[in-house]
Amino acid sequence: MGNVYVILELFLVLNLLLGLVRVVRGPTTADRILAIQLFGTTGVALLLVMAHRMEMPSLRNVALVFSLLATLAIVAFTRLVGVTVPPATEAEGRS
Amino acid sequence: MNVIALVLCFVGALFFFAGTVGLLRFPDTFCRLHALTKADNLGLGMIAAGLALASGSWLVAGKLGLIWLVTMLGGTTNCYLLAHALFAARPNRAPDGESV
Amino acid sequence: MTPMAWALDGAIMIVMIVLAVRLLLVRDLYRAVILFVVFGLFMALAWVRLEAPDIALAEAAVGAGITGVLLLDAAKKMSRGRGEEEP
Repeated sequence: MGNVYVILELFLVLNLLLGLVRVVRGPTTADRILAIQLFGTTGVALLLVMAHRMEMPSLRNVALVFSLLATLAIVAFTRLVGVTVPPATEAEGRS
Repeated sequence: MNVIALVLCFVGALFFFAGTVGLLRFPDTFCRLHALTKADNLGLGMIAAGLALASGSWLVAGKLGLIWLVTMLGGTTNCYLLAHALFAARPNRAPDGESV
Repeated sequence: MTPMAWALDGAIMIVMIVLAVRLLLVRDLYRAVILFVVFGLFMALAWVRLEAPDIALAEAAVGAGITGVLLLDAAKKMSRGRGEEEP
């Protein structure tokens, strides 16, 4: 029974790996920030599944911190740096 | 009960996969924003519901629900901030877009 | 340890090594900060897999969150100073 949850975790980690492609390749800063949002949400799900499978209830608190971390990073990026839209955005639309 | 929980969890994981594919394949940043923030929060809700069923405890179920609510709140804030900043910074439609 | 759990740990480990190398090699400072935040996230996951949830909590809050924002502020100040020098 526990093995099925490991498959679920592996699936979510593969999702994180796919999101990493967008971090490396993403043309604008906004796309990379979006990938942080993906990591936050998927990380919360992953930690909740792990908390159930490994029977460590304190992992739910870590999940809570993860969900706040993504918000903190994105608010800091949009407020401190700002998002610039280079002309590469239109070029990306073709691919 | 456990079978229902597992089915809910895997459907949630499929929603996560849909969000990731949207992030990778959609052409525009706004499209990616749209795909990611909705599909992922729905997937997280389904996984949280499945785990709440599997845990069989009201306390844990309530905590999972609260975590889902906080994540949705954060995701909404992020989506709005990012879309607002992107829309204000768009390059060549600035002259006729002043009424927005 | 089942093979599935081995695959999970191996995936997290390989991703962390690749991320660390890329984080050191990348030129743009903002990209480096984003990679650092992502690295902190994976680091927290690794601590969780090592059954140390308290360190994972600290890593997620301090290592990725606060340090990421501080590095971002520093990168902004650095790029602004360089921009005033160049022209």
